[in-house]
Order: sequence, then structure tokens, then C-alpha cells
Amino acid sequence: MPSTSTPLRAPVRDRSGTPTPRRRVRSGRGAAGRSRSERLAPYLLVAPAALIIGVFRLYPLALGVNFSFTGDGDRNGQAVGLDNYTALFDDPLFIASMRNVGLLVLLLPVAVAIPGLLATFIYLRVPGHRVYRSVYFFPAVLSPVIIGAIFNLLLAFDGPANALLGAVGLGPVDWLGDPGIAMYAVVGVHIWATFGMALVVFLAGFATLDVSLIDAARVDGASLPKVVRHVIVPGLSRTIQFVVVTTMIGMLTSMFGLLYVMTGGGPEGSTYLPEYYIWFQQGQMGRPALASAASTVLFGVMLVVGLAQIAVLRRAGRED
Amino acid sequence: MKRRALWSTALIAPLALYGCGSAAGPDSGGGGGDTLVVWDWKSGDETAKSYIEQAKADFAEKHPGVEVEFVAQPFDQYYNLLGTAIQSGEGPDVMLFNGGGQLRDRTDALLPLEDYLVEDMERLAGWEAFTADGHVYAAPVTLQGHPIYYNKALYEQAGLDPEAPAATWDAFLANCEQITEATGADCFAMGNKEGIGIQFFLSGIGPGVLAPAEYDAWIAGERDWTSPGVRRIFELWVEAEQAGLNNDGVNSTAMFNDEFAIFDAGEAAHVIGLMSDVGHWKDFGEFLGAENVGVMPAPLVNPGAAPSLPYDGGIGYGVAEWTEDPELAADLVRSLSSTKALEAFYADAGAIAADTTIDASGAGPATAAIVAELPTGKPALHVALSAETLELMGRLSQQLLSGSVTVDDALGQLAASDQAG
Repeated sequence: MPSTSTPLRAPVRDRSGTPTPRRRVRSGRGAAGRSRSERLAPYLLVAPAALIIGVFRLYPLALGVNFSFTGDGDRNGQAVGLDNYTALFDDPLFIASMRNVGLLVLLLPVAVAIPGLLATFIYLRVPGHRVYRSVYFFPAVLSPVIIGAIFNLLLAFDGPANALLGAVGLGPVDWLGDPGIAMYAVVGVHIWATFGMALVVFLAGFATLDVSLIDAARVDGASLPKVVRHVIVPGLSRTIQFVVVTTMIGMLTSMFGLLYVMTGGGPEGSTYLPEYYIWFQQGQMGRPALASAASTVLFGVMLVVGLAQIAVLRRAGRED
Repeated sequence: MKRRALWSTALIAPLALYGCGSAAGPDSGGGGGDTLVVWDWKSGDETAKSYIEQAKADFAEKHPGVEVEFVAQPFDQYYNLLGTAIQSGEGPDVMLFNGGGQLRDRTDALLPLEDYLVEDMERLAGWEAFTADGHVYAAPVTLQGHPIYYNKALYEQAGLDPEAPAATWDAFLANCEQITEATGADCFAMGNKEGIGIQFFLSGIGPGVLAPAEYDAWIAGERDWTSPGVRRIFELWVEAEQAGLNNDGVNSTAMFNDEFAIFDAGEAAHVIGLMSDVGHWKDFGEFLGAENVGVMPAPLVNPGAAPSLPYDGGIGYGVAEWTEDPELAADLVRSLSSTKALEAFYADAGAIAADTTIDASGAGPATAAIVAELPTGKPALHVALSAETLELMGRLSQQLLSGSVTVDDALGQLAASDQAG
């Protein structure tokens, strides 16, 4: 490297040949300028993200909450206080949709256990595990609309599912026409369609498991259920938590397509979810203010669920 | 983390104190100066091509310098998109509507057209469906109604006279029994997954139940949901299911188009269908043969009733309230319902056009029967109801079939919704 390129620190010789330390050129004012720009830099760097969140997230959110206190139709633009919320909680459709959210939370363990169990079998190399690994993932690449259309045909009253039941001597089930069954049918299809992703996450978790622990357990004569219960599940606790969170979010936010195609909220309004209700009131019924109120309630529910999940994750993180 | 939660609460809390602005935005906007924008769900169809071309040519003759842009929206999203456009006050200049509730719910955004359409009043039929509070908001393009279609081939197989369908409900039930016994076909093809089956049933069977005075009062807005006639219609809805007249799984069978597919396949002897678009004489004729598709008046349930063909204006074009030049937009509406354009629509799309001067006698017995009934026909019962009441009726009809609500309870809820709306 040529010496001219490092003039600041390198001692230079004057004409007499005695080395003298070079004086620092920076003045006091320059140093103050730098520290100010250093102080401002983080704000500047954060600004785009903060602006995007503020303009495209928080502001619309605030508008939505605001609109939920205004009226629809003739009362458009007038402040109506809590009227929309009263209407909301008087509407059996909205109550049904909130009840269905509760049902989804209750069904969450099933939605997590299925990919967990299947991933365990693949990890334990059951015969044909290579085939299953790709087959299980396959539905995850299909769009909900296509899946809904397929299952509409399969679950039709005179469709193959009932033909199969008939062949083994069981009566036909009105999968999508019985209000007591339709929601389970749709959730079942949703789980079938999405468990591939969770399965992949589980398999990634298995890759980090210590094989010697399992071998040791086997040498000690532990049965398969005991290996699963005492070695595999504890080793995978972080993975399980992650899958629980992502599955919950998936169930609450991405069932719209399936509902739209498979049941349209019916029969008897039994398969409404808040999302679908909001879409229905805003677009089909022309009641955007009521839809805003429903969105606000949904936001509140999601906030509670989200904070609860964060709390659970943090506690689990501390145990590690 | 706790701090973040506090932050979000702090951000939202003050907003909760206010309720200002409006969820539906202020009115403004519209199409540009020399371009008219039309929204519909028809112009993309191959069968509607000649109709749109005729209408465009007619309009270009009158206003050579004005460009017309047709935007075809998907039908199942149409009112969603339109609702959003109306709320933002920036939509098309001219838009297609189904007659009845969908139009009446949005008259705030529409321009009264009666002054522009004076010359068409005689020639076109079906105005009631596009009229609200004495103003006309759209010009009818097609007529939509709910004739009861029957499969003449099944009648013949069962040893019945296909040219003499039952005139009374009892005779109708007897015929159905005979047909089911002989051919295995159900009496009705019925799909109520979307909750629309009940609407067709009400309008199709209702004319045989309600006496003319009550029928007219219902259409005029004086609806007595507790009257014996109205009660009887909903009882029949339940009885038909319990007596096994319908195909299996009514609540999970979609009307569009599984119900019509059942009738097309000859698996049911009757269907309450449509006059235009889909599920109509042209569709059925393609599967069963035009000569095998019959149309019958509603069987008499109440001797005091005088059955007539229930029909209304099916679809029609209206003008947005925010359009820049209302006269220009109204002229486009007139072109879209001109005789030449409607003739093309009738011939290619198989719609019963709103123009009474079109000759439709050459399209088979079902069409002839429908057209012959037009002069005495009346508006359909369900079209008089608001979108909200129809939605509730759809849900209640499913509950009636599964037995989770009684007829009395359902009628009580419907009366409350009807009076609120």
C-alpha cells in the first residue's frame, strides 16, 4: 500500500528528517457535526419502516375503529356511539362466528398433533417414509379454491364420500348441509390442506434431535410411546410452540377461501367466521360501519390471542 | 413486550372516544369527459357479444365522438366491487343491476331516469323491478321470472298426459307419486345451499296460494306475514321436504348449478327455474330436447288464488348519480335496451328480452308458454323483499328443513326484518 493513502495516522518525516506526529485536522465543529448525524442516523434509518407501519397499518386501523362509531346508510357519517356494537352482539350470525373462533382454538391441538405424529413416523422410518414425505406436502401447494372445489365434489350428498360410507353400511352424512357437521368438515379440509407446512417444520426440528438419546432410551428398553413421550416431545418443545403459533394464525386468518367455496357461511349460518362476516356485511349488505365494528372486535380478539401466545413463548424460552 | 401492549392500547384508546367522518366516503368522481365507463357481468360472455356490439353501434350513431368502455366484472363479486366503488364515490357512469333489492338498496347512488326514458315506457316491460319510491332507476334489458318447468318425457313414462299438468296441489302430489313410482325421479329438483331455493319456491308456488288481493298488497309493500296464505307457503316448503318430494341433501345442493343439473339429467320431474341467463328453457332444452320442456302455472293450493307468471325486470342498466353528463349516460342506457340490441341478446344468450315487440314464438313450447303468460304476469313475491330479509329468509329456510326452527318462529323473524327494512 502506498504511504500517501494513509496520511492521517502515519508519522511523516519533515525536511530535517525527525519524525513528528501529524496534527489532527478535524476541528471541534466537525466533531460536533458528526455526533449529531450519528445521533440522527438511527431515526433516519428507522423512518421508512415507521412510516410504512404508521401510514399503512396504524392509520387505517385508527380509521376503522373511528368508522365503527359511525352509522350506515341514512346515518352515514353520523356519530352513533355504540349502536354498531349493540347491533353486532344482537346478530346471531356474529355470535355464531365468534363461537366458531372458540371452536377453532379448541381444535388447535388436533391440528398440531396430526403433522407432529406423521412427522414422527417419517422420522422413525416407517416403510415408505420417503413417499409419504412428498405426498403429505402435496396439498400445501394447492390453492384453497381448488381444494374447496375438490372437496365440494367429494363431500356432496351423492358424492364419493357418502358412496364409501354406504358401501360399508353406514347412512349418508350431509357433510356440508348439516349445521352440526359442516364446520368440522371445513376445518378438517383446512387441516388436510395445510398440515404439510407444519410437517416440514417438524421434520426440521427432528433433524436437530440428538439421536444418541433415542438410542440410549431404546437400549434401556423404552417402548415407542415412551420414547415419543419422554425423549422426542421434550426435545421438540420449541418446534411445537412455533407450529402452535403459526397454525393458530393460519386457522384464524386463512379459512376465507375454503368457506367461500365450500359453504358460503351456511348452512344456517353455522360456518361463519369473523372474516367472512366482515366481508359479507361490507360488500354484500353495504354496511361498512357495521363491518368496521366487527373488524375492531376481531382485532381485539387477535390482540388477546397474540399477547397470550407471546407470553407462553417467552415463558417457554426461559425454561431452555 | 408489556410496553408494546401498553403502546397499542394507548394508540387506540383515544380513538374510541370519537365517531367522526364516515365509513362510506363523500361523493365525487366518475368517468372522464369523453369516455363512459360501464360495469356489468355480461359483456365478457361470448353469448352477449352481438348484443353489446349492437348497443355500441346504436350509441355511436347518436354520439360519434364518445367512447364507451365496458368493464366486465365477475358476477359473484359484482355487488361487492360495486359497493366499494359507491362508497368511494368513484365508480362507473353506467352499471348493470339485478332488479329488486340489489337496486333498491343502492338508489342513493343512482340517478332517476324516468324523464329520459319516456319513449321506452310502452315498448319495454318489467319496470317495477327497477322502480323505487316512484322513480325509475334503470331500463330493463331482460325479464326474469320463475316458471315451473316440467319434464314431459318423465310424464309420458309415468303414463301421464304431458300436455295436461296438474292444476291443483293435490293432483300435483298424485302425479309426483306416480312419476316417482314409475321412473324413480324426484318430484322437485331443489338446491338451497345458497339459501336461494326458498326464494324460488315462494315466488313459484306462491301465486297458487295467495288470493289476487293479498298478492297485490304484498307487492305494494303491505305484507302480512301472519296471514294463513303466507303461512301455508312456508308450511308447504317444509311439507315438500318431509314428504320426500325433493332430491336428497337440499341444504348442501347448490342451486347454481347442481339443482339445474339434476333436472337436466332427468332425475327430477319439476324445477322452479328462471326465464333468462341460466337455469332456463334454453339450458333445459339442450339436455332434454326443447320439445320435452314444459311450463306449468302454479298448482292451486287455495281455490281463491289466480295463478299468474311471476316475473320482473331481470337485469337493467342504471346511471350513477356522480356521472358528469347525465343525458349522455341515459342515452347509452337507451341504446343498451334498443330493440335491435335486445333482439340479438334474445337470440344468442337465450334471454327473454324486456322488449315486448320481439317475436319469440319459434323457440319451442316452453318459450311460447312463457311469452304467452307475460301480459297477465305479476312481479315475483321475493323480489319485493329487501336484500337483508332475503338473506335472513335463506338462513331460516335451511333451519326449517333441518327442523331447528318452527314456521311460526321463522315468520315472526321475517316480519320483524321486513318491517325494519
